[in-house]
Amino acid sequence: MTAARFLETRGPAWDRLEELLEAMGRRGVGTLSEEQLHELTRLYPAVAVDVARARLYHLDPTTQSRINRLAVQAHSHLYRGARPRPLLAIWRFFRWDYPRLFRRLWAYVVLAVVIFLVGGLGAYASVVMRPSTAYRLVPFEFDMVDGSEEVTAEDISERFRHMDKPPMATGIVTNNIRVSFVAFALGITAGIGTCYIVLFNAIMLGGFAGHFASHQLSYEFWSFIAGHGILEIFAILVSAGAGLRLGISLALPGRLTRRESLRQGGLEAVLLVLGTIPMFVVAGLVETLITPSYLPGGLKILLGVLLGGGALAYVLLTARGPEPTGLRDAALT
Amino acid sequence: MQEQDFDLIETPENVELEQRLAGIGSRLVAGVIDVIIMFLVFFIGFLLLLLASGINSVGAAFNMQAWAVAFMVVVLFLMFWGYPILFEYWWNGQTPGKRHMRIRVVREGGGGVGFAEVATRNLLRIVDLMPFGYGVAGVTMFLTRKVQRLGDLAAGTVVISEQATDYSAFSDRTTPKEWEAAMSPAALRATSLTPQEYRVIANYHIRRTELSLEARERVLPKLLAPILARLGVQLPEMSVVVMEAYVDELMDKARRAEQSEKPPEAQP
Repeated sequence: MTAARFLETRGPAWDRLEELLEAMGRRGVGTLSEEQLHELTRLYPAVAVDVARARLYHLDPTTQSRINRLAVQAHSHLYRGARPRPLLAIWRFFRWDYPRLFRRLWAYVVLAVVIFLVGGLGAYASVVMRPSTAYRLVPFEFDMVDGSEEVTAEDISERFRHMDKPPMATGIVTNNIRVSFVAFALGITAGIGTCYIVLFNAIMLGGFAGHFASHQLSYEFWSFIAGHGILEIFAILVSAGAGLRLGISLALPGRLTRRESLRQGGLEAVLLVLGTIPMFVVAGLVETLITPSYLPGGLKILLGVLLGGGALAYVLLTARGPEPTGLRDAALT
Repeated sequence: MQEQDFDLIETPENVELEQRLAGIGSRLVAGVIDVIIMFLVFFIGFLLLLLASGINSVGAAFNMQAWAVAFMVVVLFLMFWGYPILFEYWWNGQTPGKRHMRIRVVREGGGGVGFAEVATRNLLRIVDLMPFGYGVAGVTMFLTRKVQRLGDLAAGTVVISEQATDYSAFSDRTTPKEWEAAMSPAALRATSLTPQEYRVIANYHIRRTELSLEARERVLPKLLAPILARLGVQLPEMSVVVMEAYVDELMDKARRAEQSEKPPEAQP
């Protein structure tokens, strides 16, 4: 077959494939009718072969690049995972995938917790032993205790009571989610950046706690922090664990190439981060509505423990059995 | 930019497809377009809220200003994080800016991106932005063969160009028929080349911008030496620059000869 004849006989197939790709546009194969879909699956392999033949015939570059482009585009539409129905997929993710993912990566989260405890307890101990250390560890632009007067939980809550609730809630939630994203993303520095974020937060919390403790205000402090803080810190540490997964996959690739190891680490860890978003929303609502309220401090602490314990129970205890296949199939169609 | 312009896809059909990598420039422009769209959406939302809070009855019923601020905080957050993730997910690797520039995020080695890929590359954007103005991204894109920023490396993605490469800028004939026509007797006479030689030289002339300098250094003497020997032409030196100048001259001659032949050719 001559090149000219090849162009003549195969040209219509290329035009047709181009038409189909154009019709799909950005949305993918879902927009095609069943008939068109069959057509696409017939056209693509033939055009892929045409790419090789065009090379063989040394066709002119413009035609070669056109066939190649068509084949690549068709390939990218055909070889992508099934696209699930969004709401069902989200439900399925939280009901089944997330707890399992957590249990697969729990060691990294424990590592983050250990780093946090070392930093936090260290800061706490050093402030309790030498209270003046607090001024070096903690930013005191919102110094709530100057030691000269009696401070109650009331006084601390009072500061937050007059803030406008809606912007406070969204501000807190978005900021915390951003911090957790950063804790994850900084994992790319072989985990060093993630450790920095964890230690920074640990020292802040430990430093404040020690500062209030050295003024005998521990109960006031914890009744202010614990309600939202336990869940919030849990979620941050989960994200940091994901960051450590990313960092360690880069630093210690094992038998994989570093590039491949990083890719696997990233793709596995990222969903662990995204799953913390609801936790931050709940924690943020508590911080806005309950923390500044007139509820007794003990109740706030109890709520915090329940929320933190609930999150832990969720990731450790749920999704233990086999997943019903019905849900999986429903989510994918 | 010449070392590697392609990412190869191994298909089940056992054909290697080439996807042309998008350049830093078109990715930058796509990003700017996206930022402009985000800004416009934000700005319009802001105006609407301003109007709404101006209506007294509504403003009195709620603490309108507070809600407006709260809302805008969420919108800003969704813009920065949600916009690229959701668009790239639902539009198979494209945002409006990328679509306009005809570039697309795909898996390295072929295939459309899934949610995890899109989320990973966009969460890592925050590091790519450091220390300012996509500094990290610029460095890694420069250092990696496939022009990947950190987010692309972690997600195993590349950004490809789907722009139809238009080689007609280098030649006014792109189909075999036009080639035949171009080899008019006049062009051959003017260049004193045989049809085969003419085809070789013209083909090189069209594709030279695609070839790396090393490839040109390697290939051109082989193509040109026999022709020069037959024509008895001695070039001052066999460097790429001189040889290509000679090729250009030949092509110029051919074109001029053709043009002077045009009128009779135009007859049916």
